[in-house]
Amino acid sequence: MNGPSPVVIQTVGLTRQYAMGGAVVHALRGVDLMVHEGEFLALMGSSGSGKSTLLNMIGLLDRPTAGQYRLEDVEVFSLSRDDLATIRGRRIGFIFQNFNLLPRYSTWENVALPLAYRKGEYRSEEQYKKAMQMLARVGLNQRAGHQPMELSGGERQRVAIARALVTEPAVLLADEPTGNLDSATGREIMALLSDLHTEGKTIIMVTHDMNIARYASRICTMRDGTLAEGEPAYVTG
Amino acid sequence: MSLGDLLRTSLRGVSANKLRAVLTMLGIIIGVASVIAMLALGNGARAAVESRFRSLGANQVQISTQMAFDDDELVTAGKELTYEDGLLMPENVELVDRVDMSINAQGKARFGRATLDVSVTGATPSALESFVSAGEIQPVNRQDGEALTLESFLAFGRFFTLVEVLESGPVCVLGSQTATDLFGGDDPLGQTIWVNRARCEVIGVLSELELVDESQRYQRNPNEILLMPISTVIRMFYEEEPSVMITAFVADESRMDEAKDQIKAYLRQRHDIQPDANGEYQDDFNLTTRKDILGAQQEAANTFSLLLAAMVIFSLIVGGIGIMNVMLVSVTERTREVGVRLAVGARARDIVLQFLLEAILISVGGGVLGVAVGILSIPLAASLNSGMALLEPGSIPLALAVAVVIGILFGIYPALRAARLDPIEALRYE
Repeated sequence: MNGPSPVVIQTVGLTRQYAMGGAVVHALRGVDLMVHEGEFLALMGSSGSGKSTLLNMIGLLDRPTAGQYRLEDVEVFSLSRDDLATIRGRRIGFIFQNFNLLPRYSTWENVALPLAYRKGEYRSEEQYKKAMQMLARVGLNQRAGHQPMELSGGERQRVAIARALVTEPAVLLADEPTGNLDSATGREIMALLSDLHTEGKTIIMVTHDMNIARYASRICTMRDGTLAEGEPAYVTG
Repeated sequence: MSLGDLLRTSLRGVSANKLRAVLTMLGIIIGVASVIAMLALGNGARAAVESRFRSLGANQVQISTQMAFDDDELVTAGKELTYEDGLLMPENVELVDRVDMSINAQGKARFGRATLDVSVTGATPSALESFVSAGEIQPVNRQDGEALTLESFLAFGRFFTLVEVLESGPVCVLGSQTATDLFGGDDPLGQTIWVNRARCEVIGVLSELELVDESQRYQRNPNEILLMPISTVIRMFYEEEPSVMITAFVADESRMDEAKDQIKAYLRQRHDIQPDANGEYQDDFNLTTRKDILGAQQEAANTFSLLLAAMVIFSLIVGGIGIMNVMLVSVTERTREVGVRLAVGARARDIVLQFLLEAILISVGGGVLGVAVGILSIPLAASLNSGMALLEPGSIPLALAVAVVIGILFGIYPALRAARLDPIEALRYE
């Protein structure tokens, strides 16, 4: 390594409490996390350990009860809801377990969706061009005109990955990306994420499957809302 | 999001469920179509009233017999308004210069072997002048802008004189069609025809005439008439003194109210009408001036507008509630979509605008279809209202503007609800 890479994500004492049916649920209890550029981090933990809450927080979909979060040196939680939306649209790419593609929108339109919210930056033909580049990157440019219903699960997840990549984000956030796929297809998706990691993308992935977590360069385990730093993973496959 | 992207997105949202969109539009369609049709009816009625009374000059008072219902039968309320009432009016009412009188009857005209059912009009010598000044009918070959003259209304001969009227002279003037029907191509002037059982000399034939305004087609065909002195018609057709229609011409237009009072006083004296216990007169005649008609018409128009406005507001509110309902359902159905959009960078206002625009598209779509349906229904409305319905051009932009307002008013709440969704909950929504 040529010296440490820049820090992309740094959280300090990140805390999140919910009131649920009169009781207070402590989803996060002071999480300190540092992620460097180019890292592939797997967040593991049992159900209810707070890993998804942490991922949502990192993805700016949720705000903490207390604590700080710097994304590329910006103290993000002091920003307005609209500013968070703008940063989310530019610097963060989401990959969901259930793909979350818009039905009735073609593959390329789904991929281009984040570009439409960057007002004035991309005209329609530029959106199409960029979306087609991303579809080529995930090997689906032949299916640009198809709708999600016409694609297999693996193909849908690759479309979702193309959508996450289209804005060239600082970090890709993947929440159980293989959770709805059979193991062979899951391996294909993980191979794709590994390739992206090799290309230098920063990836944070939530999973409860150790076989999937092994693709990451570092594994952290969460328990009861706290983070335990894990051993650096060895990459297989 | 750019306006183009936004519009495309909202159009897709609406077209995703076309049947539902069209059914939702139905409320607005019906509301807007009824606005267009009702305004057309009001407009047509106004035009008809205006053209009907355009002939009533500002210096004229129309006098008719007061009618009343007796056992479901329309009868005169008191004494008839008689030929003599009219004849003596200029002498006895200071402000009245002269009068026109007319009466209509149906009769049989016969010449040689030709027999004809004909509409007989009893008139005064100035009837032809009134035709000309009313401007309701014109010679068929009149050039645009050409002045109407007495001569242009008469094809042959002359009109009857005051002496012939006072003496109940056996003379007549024929409409062009009546002349053709009775005489074929022969010259009718100077010929004697039979009208019912009386002999009558043809002294004139009218030019072929047409209505200036086609909306007046409920009037009699001016070519199929037979004109005689009013006194002759009364003598020939009536055993008792009939009611006549009198038009009084007032010398000074600025003293119409005074003239009306004078006419009332004169007729009360002639009909022997005394004030009742409260000092009020139960007149058996009606006086109408152009001012009266316009005033009554204005009042009717105001009432009509108020009723129309209430009806339109109700139907559009109902339509708007339909839109709000469907938009709320749509937001719930598309919760996941909202979550995805928020995750990929949509701001709250992008979501608000998307759903608001969908509501406006439905509403304006309904507005446009409503305008089309409204315009198409005008002939139907006209047929139900004796041909009187005219598209009010201002109603189209009005209807569309109202549709936009309805879309915003009833679309804003569902749109705000969509924008306030928690992205995490929305993404998990099944």
